[in-house]
Amino acid sequence: MIFGFLKSPSLSPRQRRLHNTVLFRTLKPLEVKFVDGLMHERRYLPDEIIFDEGEEGQALYLVMNGRVRINRGAPDSLHLVNELEPGSFFGDLALLDNSPRSAQARALEGCELAVFFRDDFLALMETDAVIGYKISLALARHIGQRLRFQLDGHAQLEAM
Amino acid sequence: MIGHDAAVIRAERAGPVVWSGIIGVTCLMLVLLEHMLWLVLPFIFGTVTYYMLLGPMRELLRFGFTRNVSATLVSIVFFSVMALVLMAVLSWSTAPGDGGNWHEIGGRYLDGGVAFVRNTMGLLEAKFPLLAEMHLTRLVNRRFAAFTDNFAQRHLTTIVVTAAGWLPSLLLAPFLAYFFLRDSLRFKKFLARAVPNAYFERTLYLLHQVDQTARRYFEGLLKLTILDTIVLAFGLWVIGVSSPLLLGFISALLAWVPFVGSVVGCVMVVVVAATDAPANPLVAYGAIVVFILARLLDDFVFMPLTLGRSLQIHPLVTVLMIFVGGALSGVVGLMLVLPLLGVVMVIGETLGLLMTNPRLRARHRYAKALREKQASADLKV
Repeated sequence: MIFGFLKSPSLSPRQRRLHNTVLFRTLKPLEVKFVDGLMHERRYLPDEIIFDEGEEGQALYLVMNGRVRINRGAPDSLHLVNELEPGSFFGDLALLDNSPRSAQARALEGCELAVFFRDDFLALMETDAVIGYKISLALARHIGQRLRFQLDGHAQLEAM
Repeated sequence: MIGHDAAVIRAERAGPVVWSGIIGVTCLMLVLLEHMLWLVLPFIFGTVTYYMLLGPMRELLRFGFTRNVSATLVSIVFFSVMALVLMAVLSWSTAPGDGGNWHEIGGRYLDGGVAFVRNTMGLLEAKFPLLAEMHLTRLVNRRFAAFTDNFAQRHLTTIVVTAAGWLPSLLLAPFLAYFFLRDSLRFKKFLARAVPNAYFERTLYLLHQVDQTARRYFEGLLKLTILDTIVLAFGLWVIGVSSPLLLGFISALLAWVPFVGSVVGCVMVVVVAATDAPANPLVAYGAIVVFILARLLDDFVFMPLTLGRSLQIHPLVTVLMIFVGGALSGVVGLMLVLPLLGVVMVIGETLGLLMTNPRLRARHRYAKALREKQASADLKV
């Protein structure tokens, strides 16, 4: 038991799904297990609001199951920005700064989300530079990709 | 923009109603905790130890150890080292009359303290004839005689037995620290699971704030204790008092109790100094000077650098609450009022904002209606 760290860790189905997300793909299995220990699990019903536009963002969400709709605009004139599938994530800007959410996230069908709380992420960056660097790089690539997408004329905002 | 005004709650501050609630709950908890002293002290020691060991435990977790093994390893290593240090300090101690029993040692220190006060009174009378005319020494002697005649026989045994009775409860501290280390994350997730989705993010933030407040306070307390111990031990060592490190450490621990702790610590150091060198009262006077210098350093340099930054409570509220704590629950109240107020303040302010946010309440009602609808979808009559 004590020398458990010498053998390669086996991942649970949930941890394998986490490992397959864009954000954690570059992490080693041991690192995925460590990050999984920091994450929370939430379930949402179809049409339930995950967060509102303008709300203070405290966490990043990873879609483990189901689909999520991202909307913008006033309540009577909402327009769809994007639909997210399992494996994708949203709310990433909240992880980087304290800015309000730039869109509303709503469950399109019953879904299961993994939640990465901002202060856990910041503490991880401080205490584990390697995991922090890998996640930050994945985040930067994702944001860069989104920017390129917008510059190409696709006015879609994938994440808040 | 959906619910923009209602959803942004960061900039709002708690009002007078919430603050009245915060102060009321803090006072109520102080009264309750006074009756649970057997749990309060181990809880404080356990929490301080938990925050000390959290860092090393996280290192082990990153090496791939499980949470259980990491908590067990750091606890075993820490408490073994503590036991060894305690044994070393006790064996290093060169108190007068080594080998005597507690009864005799207590009596000797008491006599040493009384002799010091009498000598000081004699010196004062010789210097100031006015005091001699007032028969100050005789007055003080009579008071002391009334208090100390057979003090060792009457009270010391009771004090030692009471202290021994506390030991089992203090042994709870290592257990509490171990279980805090092992299960704190599980407990946090357990609490978060019970929270409705609408309030989830804010509740995570609340739990984090409570943890940060407690951590800042106890880490500040720990740093303050170490600095106090070093300064006092160095000063006492310079003037030649026996067991300077042990005395410095006990005084620093006693200083956890505002006002009362410092006075008790000073009396203890002076009594030991007076007993060590009965023929040379300058050592005891030197101990008083060292203690006052250490307190000044503590109050004006160390405290603002450590505890002062930790709680972010208005100084006037801090001072008033210390007095309220002392009036409600005595020494326990003095010791606990600040950390308790810090934690209740964070919880109260956040709950106040959550409960009064109309958008979050509407979202919660909507989610409940969705759940109700889903649960009864195939139950239409």
